[in-house]
Order: sequence, then C-alpha cells, then structure tokens
Amino acid sequence: MENKNQSGAVWVVAELKDKSPHAVSLQLAGKARELANQLGVPVEVVLLGDQVSEAAQVLIASGVDTVYLGESADLKVYQSDVYAEIIVSLAREYKPEIMLLGSTFMGRELAPIVAARLGTGLTAHCIDLVLGEDNVLDQQIPAYGGLISILCPVKRPQMATVAGGVFPTPDPDFSRSGNIVEISVPENMENRARVVEMVKEESDEQPLEDAQFIVAGGIGTGDLDGWHRLQDLSHALNAALGCTRPVVDEGWAELETMIGQSGKMVSPQFYLGSGLSGELQHMVGIKGARMMIAINNDRKSPVFEQVDYGIVEDCKTFIPLLIEQINKVSKDKTL
Amino acid sequence: MIDFTFSEEQEMFRKAAREFAETEVAKYVPEMEDTSKVPEGLLRALGKAEMLAITIPEIYGGLGLGYTARLIALEEIGRISVATAMMLQVFALGIEPIVKFGTDEQKSKYLPGLATGELLATAAVTEATGGSDPSGIRTSYRKDGDDYIVNGRKCFITNAHVANTLIILAKSEENPKEFCAFIVEKDMEGFKATHVEHKVGFRGCNTGELAFESLRIPKENLLGQEGKGMRVTMSAIGEIGRGGMVGCALGLQAACMEASIKFANERILYGKPIAKLPVIQDKIAEMKIDLEAGRLLGYRAASMQDAGTPSSNEFAAAKYYTTEAAIKAAKVAVDIHGGYGCMEEYAVTRYYRDAAVLGPSAGTSAIMKVIVGRWALS
Amino acid sequence: MKIVVCVKAVPDPKEADKIKIDPETKTLMRGDVPFVVNPLDKHAIEAALQLKRKYGAQITILSMGPPAAGNIVKECLALGADQGILLSDRDFGGADAYATAFTLAKGIEKNGEFDLILCGMASSDGATEWVGPQLATFLRIPVVTMVNEIHENADREWLVKTAWEDGYRKVAIRLPAVLSVARELNEPKNLSFSGIIKARKKEITIWSISDLDVSPESVGFKGSPTIVGDFGTLETGRNVEFLEGTAEEKAERLVGILIGSGAIG
Repeated sequence: MENKNQSGAVWVVAELKDKSPHAVSLQLAGKARELANQLGVPVEVVLLGDQVSEAAQVLIASGVDTVYLGESADLKVYQSDVYAEIIVSLAREYKPEIMLLGSTFMGRELAPIVAARLGTGLTAHCIDLVLGEDNVLDQQIPAYGGLISILCPVKRPQMATVAGGVFPTPDPDFSRSGNIVEISVPENMENRARVVEMVKEESDEQPLEDAQFIVAGGIGTGDLDGWHRLQDLSHALNAALGCTRPVVDEGWAELETMIGQSGKMVSPQFYLGSGLSGELQHMVGIKGARMMIAINNDRKSPVFEQVDYGIVEDCKTFIPLLIEQINKVSKDKTL
Repeated sequence: MIDFTFSEEQEMFRKAAREFAETEVAKYVPEMEDTSKVPEGLLRALGKAEMLAITIPEIYGGLGLGYTARLIALEEIGRISVATAMMLQVFALGIEPIVKFGTDEQKSKYLPGLATGELLATAAVTEATGGSDPSGIRTSYRKDGDDYIVNGRKCFITNAHVANTLIILAKSEENPKEFCAFIVEKDMEGFKATHVEHKVGFRGCNTGELAFESLRIPKENLLGQEGKGMRVTMSAIGEIGRGGMVGCALGLQAACMEASIKFANERILYGKPIAKLPVIQDKIAEMKIDLEAGRLLGYRAASMQDAGTPSSNEFAAAKYYTTEAAIKAAKVAVDIHGGYGCMEEYAVTRYYRDAAVLGPSAGTSAIMKVIVGRWALS
Repeated sequence: MKIVVCVKAVPDPKEADKIKIDPETKTLMRGDVPFVVNPLDKHAIEAALQLKRKYGAQITILSMGPPAAGNIVKECLALGADQGILLSDRDFGGADAYATAFTLAKGIEKNGEFDLILCGMASSDGATEWVGPQLATFLRIPVVTMVNEIHENADREWLVKTAWEDGYRKVAIRLPAVLSVARELNEPKNLSFSGIIKARKKEITIWSISDLDVSPESVGFKGSPTIVGDFGTLETGRNVEFLEGTAEEKAERLVGILIGSGAIG
C-alpha cells in the first residue's frame, strides 16, 4: 500500500496467552499509545480468537481505543492463511500508519506474510521505536557492535516486530473506555496450513524471564564439557542458564534459552556472562540488572565495557575454581 | 607464468577434509592421547569419509583423485591429529605398490576393500638391521615349489596391528642382491604382529613389530617381478611415504602457528597482548615463512607426481624441509606459551611430542640430505 | 518430486566478530571473512537430500548473490543437489528481505514447476526470518516456519511439527508449499570428496535481471521498502572494575561480592 501521509492509526496485532492478552501485546499497546499520542491518532488492536471479549477489555484498559474483534471457533488457534487474510483485509480497509506485532512464534511467521501481502516493509526484533521526521518510525535494531535505524519511508503501514520485555507493561486503567468493533469471520476460509495440534509442555528448568540470577555462556565456553561445567555453576548459584546464538549453533543449548535480540529478553538482578564477547545482539537482551559480571580471557573484550565486574581468565579453568569456592563457602556456612 | 593457486575443486576438497577433521577426527584425540590405542570409530570414520580411496583408481572403487588431493587431505587431517594423518598416509603406503605393480587379479582382489576401509594396509620394510639402509634387512625368502617361505622380523611398522594386508620386503636366501615384495594377509599362517610400541608422540597411531616364522606365501601374492622387490617398495616410499610425511608436517606446522597466534593475541603482559611484542612477531613470522615455503615444496612435488614425472628427489627436499620446520615450529610454539607450554591441557605439548616422531619416519633427515646431495651433485 | 532449496552465501559466522560497519560510510567492512553456506540452509539441503533418497526428488539450489556466491552454489551441488541457479545482477544488490524474497520468487517462477521449497528459517547475518514466509506469499503458496519434523504422505498434505511457545505445534500443510527449517530437523552431512567429483557434471545457471520478468524498480535497493538509516553506538553507563590477583584470589573475591550483594545466600 502506498499512502505515505494517510495518518492512520497505530495498530497492534494482539496475541493471546490462554485467554488473556500476551504480555508482549500489552507492552506493545503501551508503546503504541505513546506513538499514537505523538501522532495524534488512535491506537487500534486486531484481536482474533474464540470467546475473547474479556481480553479485549484488558487491552482497552492498557491504552487501546478500538479493538477489532474477530471471534470464531475457527480462530481459536493461530493459523497463518486465516489470520493473515483477516488482518490484510482489515488493514486495506482501515489503512493504519503503523502496525506492530510481538516477536513471538506467531508474530515471526504472521508479520512477514501480512507485510508481503500489503507490499510494505517490516523490521525484525526492534529494541526501540522512535518517531522521527515526517512521522517515519525509526526502528532500531542492534547490529555489528552498534545500533542501526531501519526506516520504511514510503510504504504503509510501517511494520515492526518487538520481543516481549523490550517495552514496559502498562498499568491497566479499567476506567478507560474504548470501542469494540466486531468483525464478521467468514466460514470455510481457505486454510492451506491447518493446525492439527497445539501442545503445551512442562519444563523443569527455571524460566529465564523470571530468574533473579542468570548465568549466560558464550562460545568461549569451549566445548560441551565446558558447558556442563557452566551448568554446574548455575546450579551452585541457583541461577538460570542462558546462552548466546553461537552456543545454540554448536548444539550445547536450546534456542529457547538464547538471550538476546532475537531470543529472550530478560531482566535479572544479577547477570554473569562467561566466555562471551558482549555482542550487542546478546547484551540488549539483558535489561536493568543490578550487577553484571563477565569472565573472558581477553582484557580488551567489548563485554568489559558493559559490566560492573570483570575477570580476565580462561573460563575453562576459572569456572571450576569458582564452583569450588562457592561450595567451600556454603560448606563453611553449614558447619 | 606459473599458477600457484589451487583450483576451485581443490579448495572444495580442502573444505571437505577440514570439515571432516574438525567434526569426525578431533573428538578422538583425547582418547588417543590417553590410551595410545587406535579408536575403532576413527578407522570407520576414515573409511566412510573416503579418505582411503583418494589414490585408488575409480575402476576399483576408489576416487582416482591423485596426489595433490591426497596432500590436501593429509595436511588438513594433520592439523587436527598428526597421529591420524600418519596412519592414513601409511595406509596409502600399502596401497600404492599394488596400484603400481599389482596384477589385475591382485588389484581386483585387494583394492576395492582397501578403498572402503574394509581392508587396511601398510608396508613393512624397516628392521633392526636396516631402515635407512634397506639392503641391510635380514628377512629372507626361499622358494618352495610355487610358494615362498619367509622368515624374519620387522620393527617400527606403522599400522602393524590394524593392517589386513601388508607389503613386505624380503631378501633372497640365495642371493643377497635379490629382493621380493609380497602381499601378506594378516591371517596367513606364520605371520604375527607382536610387540606394540609406546611412542612419545603420534599416540593412537599403532606402531609395532612383525614376526614371520616359516610364513608361507602363495605365488599369487608376489608383488612385481621376482628379484625386483626393492624397486617395488622403494618407489612407494620414495614418493608416497615422503609425500605423506610432508602432509603430516604441514598440518603440524599450521597447528603450531595457529595455536601460537591465538595464545599471543590473548595473553596479556605489560598491558597488551604479547602479539604486539617484536620478539613474538619475529617468531611467528618465521613460522609463517616456513609454512609458505613448505607448502610450495610439497605441492610442487605432488603436482609433478600427478603429472607422472618422477618426483622422489623433490619429495626428499620437501620431507626434509617440512619435518625440520615442524620440529622447530613446535618448539617455538611451546616457547611462546611460556609456562603454559608445559601443561598438558595445552595442545602445543602434544605438538612438541608429535614433532619428535616426524624426523625418523619414512626416512631420516640425514638420509633425505644424502638423497638431495646426490641430486645436486649428479 | 521437484524441490527448490533457497540458499544464502553468508560471511562465516565463526569469524563474524571481525565484521565492522564503517561509521562514516555506513557500509559493511567484511575484510577477508570468507563466504560459507548459511548454516541453517544446510539443514534445508539435508532435508531435500533425505526426500531425494526416499522418493528420487530432483533438487534445485537457488541463491541470490554476487558472482562469488557461485562457489557456495557449487558446494551445495557437491552436497548432492542436482542443479543450481544463481540470481546475480548489480540491480539485485542492496535488497532487504522483501526485495530478496520477491527476486527469489521470480527466479522460482522462471524455473518452472515445483512441489516444495525449503530454506533455513533465518540467515546468520540479517536473521530477520522473513524471506521464507514472504517468498511463499509472493508465490501464493502456504508456509510453515521453524519446522523441526517433516512427515510426508502420498496425498499432497504433509504433516510438519514446529516448536511453539511452551511446547509445539503440528500443521497439515498442502503442497506446493514453503517450509523454513530449524536446526533440530536433522544433522547435515559433511561435504564428501565423491560429492565434489560428481558436482563436476552438474550445471549452474546464472540469471541476471534480463532473464527474469522484473523491472529494476521492483528489485534490489530500489525494490526494498525498508532502508538503513543512521548507525549509532549504544551506551551502557557501566564502569568495569577488574578483579586482580591469582585465579583463586579472583574466585574468592567474586564469591565475596556475590554474598555481600545478596546474589547468593
């Protein structure tokens, strides 16, 4: 769509977790409110699902003016063809200026489909959104040791995905009022990628998002053996263990434990990074930690510019020493 | 104008060999260092990765790729494990004589199995009485009807205990100037692989002694002409054996240099990495020059061998140069590591020990110089 | 069965920290970091090879890149693909994900019929994850991303599994389709010497803009809805204190700091 000065609304395509809005959708609603205020336009949300009008109310309380509500048993779980078709039709009708989605499993598949169909630009995993000249959104992503702005100067809507935890969750104000516009959902919509099963699994590892102490390992950990030592350290510290992308590529840890721009955003009190170089893509994933510590064998490593305490040691030899010391101290305490 | 670049295909061979070495060989190194045993899994991996088929003609199930490809593979594998490169190069030592001098029956019988790694090979020339001087060997043969009876012992034989087929050199009991080369199969009666050597380096590469006690060899297993066995084995050792050592040595040189550069970039003294110190840069520059020179000598000889031009002199020069350079590089790498260079967690200690075994393998440095001297003075 | 595998030549991720942006010209300084096959694309190639072994599929590699990317396509042929197409033209340069997907789609249309398109779910440089889904959209076929299991069956609806938030999802997808694949799908095989030999006979076709039915405005930099703006640095406001002494002393001191601040009990 090419309508540069349409000054449409700021949209969020919301997502649900169980029956409530997903945290990222609330955070994006908050950010959308801020951007919309600057633009002097409303905040509108597309919400698709089955019996989700309560969630719509929570969104309105979080700063949304209009919720386009598509309710149908067919929409209970996300299906790409169906969701994309509805969102694209709505966007063509209402012509939003900006459209935001969470960098979630759904967002990462749905956003590019919608953007391609609307013929517009899309930026992945933004860590900030700032309105610039001419209402062009400065979509900021970390890359190559710095921060890059991506702009979509002509095509509309300007689309971006943002991970949960980048923006704060707004406090809901249930006295706020807004509209709910019910969209009719046709039956038997084309659905060439039909979800057959959507299954939740229990995990016994501490989820990174909630952890107070996070240990993160990078490629400098050396090998799987070294990774096991790091696991031992995280247990000794009662910390959750995260990693950087190269570690996932090596197969030492799962993608779900990757911390960073295209992984998990975390906000622990304490962070210890071992064998990693402080690459921006990873470091932007950690917000507001009270104390950050890094272990790296290169004094010149960029990680040391981003932490409070630095230890210049080979993590292969230092981590076992550290574990020993922790065990020694806790043994002393129990005596 | 001489083109010193590798072809696109050769670069791909290098990539494939490096990937293989890093993903399939590296994991066996700790076990090999600890136990000095040849891991079964490593032998299987070498076969599966077609490393044994490189110089075997396609009609016998090989890749028919030639000696430059072989050198590339050995160099890349040697960079990760010289012990593995050594056993691989010696497999070829037991293959080449069959390719060059074997009858069609012998080639059809042995080469397909040798190409897949189902059969492993070696060559056994050296004895207590002669290695550098093969004419001094005492293992002897005599005819018994159509068969040959062989008696004697071999020592310092790589792959002695893992080889299924062994090319051995024996001297005629009647005429000490006549030699025969035979293809021995390990389950022939009278053949035994006896003592296992415990080497300071090349651990996990099997080296041992062989004993032949009234070993009866059928005439079908005579390799080449009767009486002309020396030519059979020496032509293999001259080019394949020396060329193989060049691969091992180049790999070790590269490993020493990479370890030194990594350490020099990470080790901070006087507030900066030691790589900034002229004395360290000087040492690394020498390693670099030696590696460049060694590569040129080695690949020049290999390309002559590919063209069918006699290249044993060129390989002698390359073998001398690269093995001596590797010994030097290993010492320098240890020096650069300072105290850490004596700690076994640091690979340079293994490189130092491995370098020690490069010299006497496939002809000592002294013998290489005899050959090159002869070449220069002739 | 006809499979197209979309492959990207990327700077070797193992040396990625050597790549810097020139703050003045805002261009990428790649130095001499070599190109390799994007790691996740290798999983896509392996998936195609497994289908080839089972059903005798024909595999075409498609890549958009500079002429040097031809080596990468050759490598994919050595891994077992049957033929390669390189879309290479100055006009294709400077493309964002949208323009890349658009150009690849045109290449696929020109190549003719296909049953399945496979690609890695993200590239190691860039890593937007957009090209697979947008490619599908331009070709008007369905897509499933992050595939970690593929179950084919005789009719044209296959069952695939992907990770999902806190669990997994299973999708029945109708061919022809795009599947963007995750690392967990399979273990790619290494390059083999015999594969390299077999690749000698395989063809790589190079298509420039005149071979595709596209205008220069729809591809490359001109066809990209997004552009790169300013490049800045990120301040963190932390000042590091290095712990000194022997390793043991540092460990002791660190544990003391952690206890003192309440990080550990």
